[in-house]
Amino acid sequence: MFDFSIVTKWFDALLTQTLGLSSFWSILIECVVVGVLILTAYALIAIALIFMERKVCAYFQCRLGPMRVGPWGIFQVFADVVKMLIKEIFTVDKADKLLYCIAPFLVIVASVGTFSFLPWNKGAHILDFNVGVFMITAISSIGVLGVFLAGWGSNNKYSVISAMRGAVMMISYEMSLGLCLISSVVVTGTMQVSGIVEAQNSAWLIFQNPFVWIAFLIFLISGNAEANRGPFDLAEAESELTAGYHTEYSGMGFGFYYLAEYLNLFVISGIAATVFLGGWMPLHISGLDSFNNVMDLIPGVVWFFGKAFFVVWLLMWVKWTYPRLRIDQILKLEWKYLMPLMLLVLVLITTFEALV
Amino acid sequence: MENKDKSYFQGIADGMKTLATGLKITLKEYFTPKSTEQYPENRKTTLHVSKRHRGRLVFKRVTEQDLADSKIQARGLQLGDYKCTACTMCEKSCPNDTIKITSHMEENPETGRKKKVLDDYQYDLGDCMFCQLCVNACNFDAIEFTNDFENAVFDRSKLVLHLDKEVYKGGSLPNLIDGGAPLEIGKFNTKTK
Amino acid sequence: MKLNNIELTFDNFADEMAKLKNEKHFDYLVTIIGEDFGEEGLGCIYILENTESHERCSTKVIAKQIGEEYVIPSVLKLWNAANLLEREVFDFLGIKFLGHPDMRRLFLRNDFVGYPLRKDFDMSPENNKFPETDEPESDFTSEWNLDAHGNLVETKHRLFEEDEFVVNLGPNHPSTHGVLRLQTVLDGETIKHVYPHLGYIHRGMEKMMESMTYPQTLALTDRLNYLCAMHHRHALVGVIEEAMGIELSERIKYIRTIMDELQRIDNHLLFLGTAAQDMGALTAFLYCMRDREHVLNVMEETTGGRLIQNYYRIGGVQDDIDPNFVENTKKLCKYLRPMVQEYLDVFGDNVITHNRFEGVGPMGLEDCINYAVTGPAGRAAGWHNDVRKNHPYDLYDKVEWKEITLTGADSMDRYMVHIHEIYQSLDIIEQLIDNIPEGEYYIKQKPIIKVPEGQWFFSVEGGAGEFGVYLDSRGDKSPYRLKMRPMGLTLTGAFDKMLKGQKIADLVTTGATIDFVIPDLDR
Repeated sequence: MFDFSIVTKWFDALLTQTLGLSSFWSILIECVVVGVLILTAYALIAIALIFMERKVCAYFQCRLGPMRVGPWGIFQVFADVVKMLIKEIFTVDKADKLLYCIAPFLVIVASVGTFSFLPWNKGAHILDFNVGVFMITAISSIGVLGVFLAGWGSNNKYSVISAMRGAVMMISYEMSLGLCLISSVVVTGTMQVSGIVEAQNSAWLIFQNPFVWIAFLIFLISGNAEANRGPFDLAEAESELTAGYHTEYSGMGFGFYYLAEYLNLFVISGIAATVFLGGWMPLHISGLDSFNNVMDLIPGVVWFFGKAFFVVWLLMWVKWTYPRLRIDQILKLEWKYLMPLMLLVLVLITTFEALV
Repeated sequence: MENKDKSYFQGIADGMKTLATGLKITLKEYFTPKSTEQYPENRKTTLHVSKRHRGRLVFKRVTEQDLADSKIQARGLQLGDYKCTACTMCEKSCPNDTIKITSHMEENPETGRKKKVLDDYQYDLGDCMFCQLCVNACNFDAIEFTNDFENAVFDRSKLVLHLDKEVYKGGSLPNLIDGGAPLEIGKFNTKTK
Repeated sequence: MKLNNIELTFDNFADEMAKLKNEKHFDYLVTIIGEDFGEEGLGCIYILENTESHERCSTKVIAKQIGEEYVIPSVLKLWNAANLLEREVFDFLGIKFLGHPDMRRLFLRNDFVGYPLRKDFDMSPENNKFPETDEPESDFTSEWNLDAHGNLVETKHRLFEEDEFVVNLGPNHPSTHGVLRLQTVLDGETIKHVYPHLGYIHRGMEKMMESMTYPQTLALTDRLNYLCAMHHRHALVGVIEEAMGIELSERIKYIRTIMDELQRIDNHLLFLGTAAQDMGALTAFLYCMRDREHVLNVMEETTGGRLIQNYYRIGGVQDDIDPNFVENTKKLCKYLRPMVQEYLDVFGDNVITHNRFEGVGPMGLEDCINYAVTGPAGRAAGWHNDVRKNHPYDLYDKVEWKEITLTGADSMDRYMVHIHEIYQSLDIIEQLIDNIPEGEYYIKQKPIIKVPEGQWFFSVEGGAGEFGVYLDSRGDKSPYRLKMRPMGLTLTGAFDKMLKGQKIADLVTTGATIDFVIPDLDR
């Protein structure tokens, strides 16, 4: 299995030893390089996801999707990006300018922050704390602020209703989301993201403990809600509240929300893939060494993206099948069904771990 | 979520079942043939437009069969002539004043009978609401609607047509007048060739 | 039906109307027609139906003149449906209804001068310039009453309090299916009041028709509810043919019945689709649109139109059916039956849909009749209101079909009525399609059509309710007064009642399942 830390170590050595830079400068340069890489990956994945969403949604709906810009429509998203970049940015007259302007950045910061926790390959993770899981939930909840401030700051009645809905829903669903992550911590015994992946060397988490399946499903449901996607997209329910909290944004202000929406989808899928499906860890079946060796030949990054995009596809399938829930039904689902169920599952998982 | 006459868990199970049915249907449709017709790529190949579709008004010209008609013979019309007599029935019947006819009286030197002669038949496609009243009003079978629908132009004034001055040859697309590609109910042709 | 009006006077009007409702059980107010009768003055014709025997009657009252004003007592206390209908009469003719708490204009702007349906209305372009200012809007409504001395007194009512949270859903809003503005007073997510504001696509069709010849009036009806073009035109053609006493051939009746039902399927498919879309299920919407395409294709081959069908004309239909019509229709019926189950699988039976629909926008049988909520919405409450059964026209009394009524009285059953009605329409078409007799498709009429003197009312079952046309002819080539009973107007009037105490998302649900189309109710 290729270990990406060879590359990072080589680069670090290049800066400190070959070029003889001090540790301050070398760390600064490394941070900049990593930052640029993250943002590039962020933008590229967003473009891929938007294109994927359009085609997948079209195919579920008996349509062809974009077909005209480039062969099979592959340049459609680039055209849209250009359009969005050159659009006029305006502000609302009586908006709270400060809140109105910083709200999109909060959303994008939360999204990039959680994005940085994803382990791409063995040795290729950008943020890797010993309390990684904890940090993920902490950073992702900044996004709620962005939604809430945008709705409040826009001075638009639809936005206010939408912000209220969004905040209530996202805060509620963080509950079961956190519990799902805790269940994985219980099984793997670590909160460090790389540690969680390593702990799935023998078998992916869902194969280690039968109750993790339920946690995985609940994670997908509440993750879908966290990413504000259908059937939980009532914060931006376009048939009720036009565009919800980002009604009053244009150009890249809107673009940030759009980006963040898709990247949150990817982040949720990525975390699901990492925590429950083994991240970059290839499919290992204990006892079949030759099979495991063949699987190891496939690079970890392919495994990771394969799993993450599969989960993305699953979430899209769900989104393009179901109607939207109403706000009280969403909260009922969380507090009356998912949360108690998850608590029960947590107990079962722990019992199973203690017994086996 | 629970129904009153069902138990709590029965309700959940039934709910899950309907959700699974939904997923099954969408997954099935994911692989079935699609329905998007690719206009304009298909405009000369697989496009079907109903024969009776009302795209624009045209003058009917005298055909070989018409020549056998005694009324046409009596009026002394030749092959390819228009049949309009400038009687202005269509102009009067139009709710939008789309049609404007100018004509003058001419005396036939042989018989000495006076006859209306059409100077200009102006039809404003931009004002037309395609109600077919003009066609219904015409007693001489002189006008009809064709299914030639590609009428977009960049300037409104180009929509003002003079039907007597043009010889309509069937529009921008081949075979469109006959309906184009065949139509089958229950199927879509998503191909461009 | 030819109207034989019961003539009432201003003084006995209120008592007689109450008697008609309470003693003779005329509990369904079909429509109120305001008319300038010329010499007699301004007045109203009320068309009523007994919902048990389906007998109809009409009453006529001439407004009392007080100074410059014309007044009639309001019947709002007897029939809630009168709310918007009386406002419409006030808007067009300036008759003030005594005791009506909301005498504002309905379709026209608040600063509009004059009453357009009065025969002395000044039509000169100079006095009817398009206004370029914002429409002034008051938070107050007016109620007019007579005091002890017989003078008109105005009472003001507030629409909502100063500090209430008011959201305008519309006129441009994704779920109002057109340009309807619902001024919604909210308490958090809970609705306290819904005030509909109409007229954003008002085209003054009834006024226009007064200066058009009869064939010309037909062209406008397709532009009402564009999903029920056939039904609208059928009603107008029907009233003119009845007035002129034209006997139609069997072939015309067959074709019209089949076309009406195809149009109904078209309308219901779009309904099922948009209901799903308003709930956020875009996929279910596109499945319906995909299959609607086939229905439209079948119709277009014969009529040449997709939305604007332009098919019926006085004395028959525009053109004979297309040679492939029979075969295509049969194919369509075969294709469509299994597809309806697909909509149910993907959307209608879904547990989320049930949760969104059940108990939402409830309106029981009694209220439905009182608010004149006709069509599928009324039938979902168990009201047998199908015009095709109650006042059969064409072949509806000869074919076998069931009138669908359910008892849930909520959005779920409104949705299900549409599903069942598609099956019924397919049944009707399949019974007729093989037996279309030979015969004339058009019975030749005189070049200039004149209708004998009299008043007629003819209604058909449109996709979303009863669509009726009232025709007052004075023997000319244009109608003296032509009034349409739109399907959606009374539905909109029932919104406030249905939605009090519900969530804002339920407003969208109710709007989706009640199936109104704005050009139809604005006219």
